[in-house]
Amino acid sequence: MADKLSWSELRRALAQRANISEKDANTFLTAFNAQLLEALKTEKQVKINGLGTFKLQAVAPRKSVDVTTGSEITIEGYNKVSFVPEAGVKELIEKVEAGEAVEALEPIQKLGAQADEIVDILGDLGELPKEEKAEEPVEEAAPVEEPKEEEPKEEEPKEEEPVAEEPKEEEPVVEEPKAEEPIVAEPVIAEVPADEPKKEEPVAEEPKEEEQKEEVEPLIVLEKPAKKKNYFLRALLIFFIILLILCVVGYFFLRKQVCEWFDILKEKVDKIELFNKCSAPSEEVEAAAAEDELVLEVPEETAEQVAESEAPKAEVQKDQKAEAKPVATKKEEPKKAKYEELLLTEEITEGSRLAWISRKYYGHPDYWPYLYDANRDRIDNPSNVPVGTQIRVPKLTKAQRDMTSSEYLRLKEEAVAAIR
Amino acid sequence: MLTKEFIGLIVSGSGLSKKDAEQLLATTTAIMRENLMDGKAIQLQGLGTLEVKERKERTIVHPRTGERTIAPSKNQLVFKATANVKEELKKL
Repeated sequence: MADKLSWSELRRALAQRANISEKDANTFLTAFNAQLLEALKTEKQVKINGLGTFKLQAVAPRKSVDVTTGSEITIEGYNKVSFVPEAGVKELIEKVEAGEAVEALEPIQKLGAQADEIVDILGDLGELPKEEKAEEPVEEAAPVEEPKEEEPKEEEPKEEEPVAEEPKEEEPVVEEPKAEEPIVAEPVIAEVPADEPKKEEPVAEEPKEEEQKEEVEPLIVLEKPAKKKNYFLRALLIFFIILLILCVVGYFFLRKQVCEWFDILKEKVDKIELFNKCSAPSEEVEAAAAEDELVLEVPEETAEQVAESEAPKAEVQKDQKAEAKPVATKKEEPKKAKYEELLLTEEITEGSRLAWISRKYYGHPDYWPYLYDANRDRIDNPSNVPVGTQIRVPKLTKAQRDMTSSEYLRLKEEAVAAIR
Repeated sequence: MLTKEFIGLIVSGSGLSKKDAEQLLATTTAIMRENLMDGKAIQLQGLGTLEVKERKERTIVHPRTGERTIAPSKNQLVFKATANVKEELKKL
């Protein structure tokens, strides 16, 4: 643009193009200039096809202030020349020049180029702004924000990253109690309070998220990615809450089973300890161990044996009953004395039964009649022992361990009879 | 004043035929356009210069919605009258 096509150059070019002498070209151009000026004077507007319109515009007089004196003065009206290019010419110049100017003045127009890029990316304008008139890009660029707002945009994700991390940190908190549930199966009372805080946690998380949202929102209007993230977080949170509820519900339904599994585990450990204790005083160890092994290996068989033995011996017991019943009241006290020593006392907890305790300490659930026998003063109905009852667990002799013995069968008969 | 009338003025001022004047005017404007598109200013001796100027990008406010947007920079064809012509035309 620094280049200037001088008058002489224009004359030469015209002469060449039109195949006329420079002199003729000169006369034409001077006439052109002179007549243009004259026409402006007379008509105030000269239209030249292929170029544009020269106008003489009137500037109305206006009031102003003398800078040096401060007094009011009026600036008189005057005329000035304005030029409006033809539509086609204007377009050509906007289009072609823009491209060249951008190349030539890149450092200066960097901002403009960036704005163009933003316009392209966000507004899907493509090449439109260059082609269309001034008003249209205004409307189409409407969704686009000022470049200043891009800076906060870049900050946004940074601020959200902690937002994303915090819930992550909370997740393990939610998972930990889940992991505890199967382990803590026994103390039900302890778990109930444990569940409550769990339910409160998600409630506490939600306000956090809202707070964070409030922090983010005032910053910028453009935060579609942020909202997406929040939705994702919410979905995650809901998912975990549902999972938690399922776990709690599942726990209450399956608690008994869980208890059983747990008892089996614990029982094995206890058995080993028990037999160690038992082994100390006598030689029963081997026998007891052997018996227990048998019991462990063939629990079904023993059950069958019991079933079988019950049938034939029921008759025997009937005979015994006749004899035993009258003596029963007297025999109760000496019966307790039969037990050599008391191993320990066990408290009945929710879900536990005599058979389980029997299995726990004697290795087989079928020894429960001894437990009933040893605790007759405390147990009313052996199939429904109230929670919290302290059960004495006596040590069984070798003879007592024999399930075919008359003593065992008699006790069992009595215990079963006590079930209501 | 339309182009035809202006050509009539040139004819009367230069003594060229109307046809020639039309042709010359057309070629002149063509040369001017080409040079302007090359980024060159055109000097009209004793009258002024036609030149291409960059109009810088600016923020504009939508009058109804109040939305702020950027009007991209563009180039404009501008006529600058010489001081003499300005003075001459100031008072009419």
